[in-house]
Order: sequence, then C-alpha cells, then structure tokens
Amino acid sequence: MTATEITPRSGSAFRKSARPMWDEEPSLAGKLFKALFLVCYGAAIVLPLWAVLATSLASEEALTRAGGNLLLVPTEVSLQAYREIFSGGALTDSLLLTTALTLGGTAISMAFTICGAYALSRTGSLLHRPILWFILLTFLFGPGMYPSFLVVQQLGLFNSYWSLILPGAVGTFNIIILRAFFMNSIPGELIDAAKMDGAGEFRTLFRIVLPMSKAILAVIALFYAVGYWNMYFGAVLYTPGLETQPIQVVLQRMLMSTQGLPEGAQAAAQYQAQGEAAPTAALKMAVVVCTIIPIVIMYPFIQKHFTKAVITGAVKG
Amino acid sequence: MATLQSTAPPDADRSPARPVVRRKRTVLQRLRHDWPLLLLALPVVAHLSVFHYWPTAWNIIAFLDYSPYRPFWENPFVGFAWFERLFNDPYFTPALLNTLKFAALNLLCMFPLSIALALAMNSIISVRVRSAFQSIVYLPHFFSWVLVVTVFVQVLGADGLVSNWIMDGGGERLDITSNPETFTFLVWMQWAWKDAGWGMIIFLAALSSINPSLYEAAASDGANRWRRMWHITLPGIRPVIILLLILQIGGILSVGFEQYQLQRQAVGYQATEVLDTYVYYQSIVGSQGESFGTAAGLFKGVIGLILILIANNIAHRLGEQGIYQKS
Repeated sequence: MTATEITPRSGSAFRKSARPMWDEEPSLAGKLFKALFLVCYGAAIVLPLWAVLATSLASEEALTRAGGNLLLVPTEVSLQAYREIFSGGALTDSLLLTTALTLGGTAISMAFTICGAYALSRTGSLLHRPILWFILLTFLFGPGMYPSFLVVQQLGLFNSYWSLILPGAVGTFNIIILRAFFMNSIPGELIDAAKMDGAGEFRTLFRIVLPMSKAILAVIALFYAVGYWNMYFGAVLYTPGLETQPIQVVLQRMLMSTQGLPEGAQAAAQYQAQGEAAPTAALKMAVVVCTIIPIVIMYPFIQKHFTKAVITGAVKG
Repeated sequence: MATLQSTAPPDADRSPARPVVRRKRTVLQRLRHDWPLLLLALPVVAHLSVFHYWPTAWNIIAFLDYSPYRPFWENPFVGFAWFERLFNDPYFTPALLNTLKFAALNLLCMFPLSIALALAMNSIISVRVRSAFQSIVYLPHFFSWVLVVTVFVQVLGADGLVSNWIMDGGGERLDITSNPETFTFLVWMQWAWKDAGWGMIIFLAALSSINPSLYEAAASDGANRWRRMWHITLPGIRPVIILLLILQIGGILSVGFEQYQLQRQAVGYQATEVLDTYVYYQSIVGSQGESFGTAAGLFKGVIGLILILIANNIAHRLGEQGIYQKS
C-alpha cells in the first residue's frame, strides 16, 4: 500500500479546532454558500424524519383536517397509532419476528465471521492460502438470483424463516475487514506470548484477541443487524407464503394500499377481510418510526468507530 | 460498504504481521499443529460452498432445457439458445440500457456530491458542529429502501407534503413519485438522501491524512484557497477517488434491486426495469422459465467479472493498487 495510504493524524480523524495561522479568513460569500449547502442538505434529511414523527403522534381528526398526510406540528398528540401497533395483532407479531430474526441472525453471522477472520489472520498455517482465495473469489462472481433460489428450494428452506438468515449469513467483506484488523491492530508479540504460556488457538481468540477488538466487532455487528432488520427482498423471494412477514414487507404493503395501486388494492381487500380498517397515515408513520428507533438507539454508541471500520476495509485489506 | 472490498491482496500475507513459526514440517505435523485454525475456518468454507459455489455450479442450466420435474441428466443440452432468446427479448435491451443509465448517473452525480460534502464538512472549524452534522448525514444510510421510498412518497408524492403546500399556494399537483419521466431524477434524489453522506466518510478520512504542513508551506508561498485545493487537496485524495471509481465500474451492472422493485408499480416497468428486476420478474415471477432466468443472471455475472478485471487492469496501469495486486 503506497499510494492509497490513509493514516489519520493524532488519533482523531479531524484536524484541531482552531483556524491555523496561515489560513486566511474565507470571504463572506464563500462562507454563506457553504453554510447554505450544508444546512439545506441537513434539513432535507431531518425535516422529513420530523414530519414522520409528528404525523405518527397526530390524532385522527388533526390528520383529516390536514388532508390525510404529513404534518409538521402535531396539534393534538395521540398515542393511538402506537397502541394499535403493540396491541398484539399482526403488526406486533411482525415486529417480534423481525427482532428475533435480527438477534438470531446477527449472532450466527458474527460467529461465522469471527471464526473465519481469526483463522485467516494466522498466516502460514496449513491451507491458509487456498482458503483465503476461496473467500476472495466470491467477490468476483455472483451466482445469480435464480440458481440461489433453486438451491434454497433444494435445501427445503423455501417458506422457512431459516431462508431469511442462512443464505446471507456470511458477509465475506466483513470477514476481510475483521481479518485486516486482527492482523494489523493486534500486536503479534501478544499472541506469541499467549502461545508461550500454553494458550491454544481458541483460548487466544477468546481471551486476547476478541477483548481487544470490541469496537470493530460492534461496527460489524451493527452492519449485520441493520441488514437483517431491513430485510425486504429476501422475504419477498424466499418466504412469500408465510403468515407473519418481516416488518419491511408489512410496511411496503401499507404503502401500496395508500398509493391506490393494484397490489395495494389487494392488500386493502385483505385488511377488510380481516375486519381491520385500512392503515391511517398515523399508523403508517408510526410503523416507520418503529423501524427507525432501534437504529437510532444503537447508532450513537457505534458511530464514532465507523471511520475506522471503513478505512480498515478499504485500505489495509 | 460492499464497494470498498478493495485491496485484500493475498500478498499482504507476506507482511510482517504474525507469521506462524515455520520450520520444515510434514503435512501431518502441520495438521496436528493447525487443526484448530482449520476447524475455525470450516463453517465459513462450508457456508460459501453451499450458498455461493453450489448455486454458481447450477448456472449450468443456462445451457440446458431445464425442468425441475425430470432427473437432471435428462435435461437436453441446448448450447446458447437461451442467450439468443435473451438478446432477442424486446424487454431485455431496455432493462440493460436502464441499468447503464443509472450506473452512469451514480458515477457522474454521486461522487462529486460526496466529495463536495466532504470538502465543505472538512472546512467547518467547530468540532461540535462537525460531529453533529456527521451524525445526521450518516443516519439515512442505515434505513431500508422500503422506508426511504415510503418517506419520499409521503413528502414528494401526489398527495404528499410538498404537493399539498404547492396546491395551497394555488399551484399544480406535484407528481414525481409516480411519473416515469422524472424517475431518473427521483432515483438520484433518493441516492443523495440515503447515501451521499455516507459516501463522504472515506473522503473525509483521506482529507485528514493530508499533511497540514503542505498547506502551510503553500500558503506561505502565496497560494490562495483555491490553488491549495487544486494542488494539495485534490491530489491528496486522488488515489481514493480512483480506487472507488474502479470499484464502481466493476459493479456497474449491479445498481440495486429493491429501490426499483418497490417503485415499479407506481412508476411502471418501462422506467424502472433494471437487469436484476428483469431476472426476478422473468424467472421467478414470470413464465419464461428457469433456464432463461439463469441465462440472464449469468450474462450479468460474466459481464461483471470482465468489468472488474478490466477496471483492475486500468488501476495497475495508473500505478494504483486496485482490488488485488499483480503477482
């Protein structure tokens, strides 16, 4: 790595706070333009999210008055929509299912990833190179949608929740990131010392390597968890026949039913058959809020490590 | 993320990382010594065998008249007949062109946006403002496409927030989210909303790795802000830009699936069909058959492979490292 070397200076990815002496004050127009650019971009992200939250808290009447769509100010705050979600109906089931898939899937994926990355970080061991190539080659060629579908069918996983976890359980890219971290950021002397003291590979992994890698493990776990939580296409492809669907599929059906589309008309008919009203804007937005909240809760703890993970993956490989 | 799989050169193994002490030993001795590592690698190898290499082998049915209802060896060999049919399919070329269009859009409009954001961000002096802004703009990267599309319909749809404002002001109903003519623009806006912020992470890191004394020296030589940007900043992040461009070229036929599938009903298939949705609707939903869908997928996979190899070759010629090293 010569040209693409990236080494954040002084531990932080940013320069220090004060303007350096040699740097002239930028012109007012330049400052204004930059501020406008950044503020507009930030507002374009924050305002819709705020409107979603406000609408999810609005009462039925306030919504009707506003034309049945998004509100910026919830005049009469009501938790009706959230009560409906958690009242034990199909939405509750879906949220529980998605939570279970996310927790179980992330645990399985992390187990695969940690074991694989550690084995590959010990260079020079038996079959090390063939195994590394076996993993790297997967980057070059994807098997294609239909053959993957066929194999899931052959394994008897079609319309089974396992098909939402197993086919995508190993993120080879995450293995490479974690392997690079193990190789570059954990001193070899430490591992050798552990070996001298008679620790086997398993003990070294669990007692020395993993405790030193908490930050990067957290980031990778977040990537996996977000993948499972946001699972949509996997469910459309592999489990179309199941009664309880992941929350993203449910949200998509709600969206279609209010856009007045053919598929939505079906969904609306389904709601009617089950004796439920078609979802109101508040209910829909409350579901959106429920899918965002777990991400927003996890996010601040892990955000500070993002840069490190991305750079490890991109540069050190 | 997946676009950054980058370097991972097997040659990195020669780095002084942590060589397992190596004497001349027989395979059996090494096995006795290394079996825990092999055991640890086994789950991943088994998983990739079953869920990557096994389906890859099944691509063979693109050359057969395959039916799942007869024994495998009774499927007749038909050569490239399915590919001929694929290239003559009136829906295939538009899907391919759409894919290329969106890929070009991504290349031409997303990179500059991310770089501009990173440059603007990097020039914010206050650390607190900077990290607050970062928290905001990284967030949408973690949202699902279902969520992004839902929010866009609610805000920019025909009955959406903005449309209502415009109509309150006496204007015409806004129609962006279900209009084939504006779909390209919509896709770009959704990308910009979801991923432009995340895209700047790598540029920010590259910017922070530029030695500040270069700027100081240039400034004392009388270089103004723009000259410093042109002669120091941009050359400083050039390797990263090239690396990312190359990775993008390799993935040019993979522009995503969910974003188009989710908006297909509202916008219509003509504007939204890309190669991945084409494969899905032809082979799994439609009745073109297993072999046809596999042939379409295989076409995409092979072109993708060729593009990656070409892009990497270009990288080497430019003196950059690319995704793997020349060995």
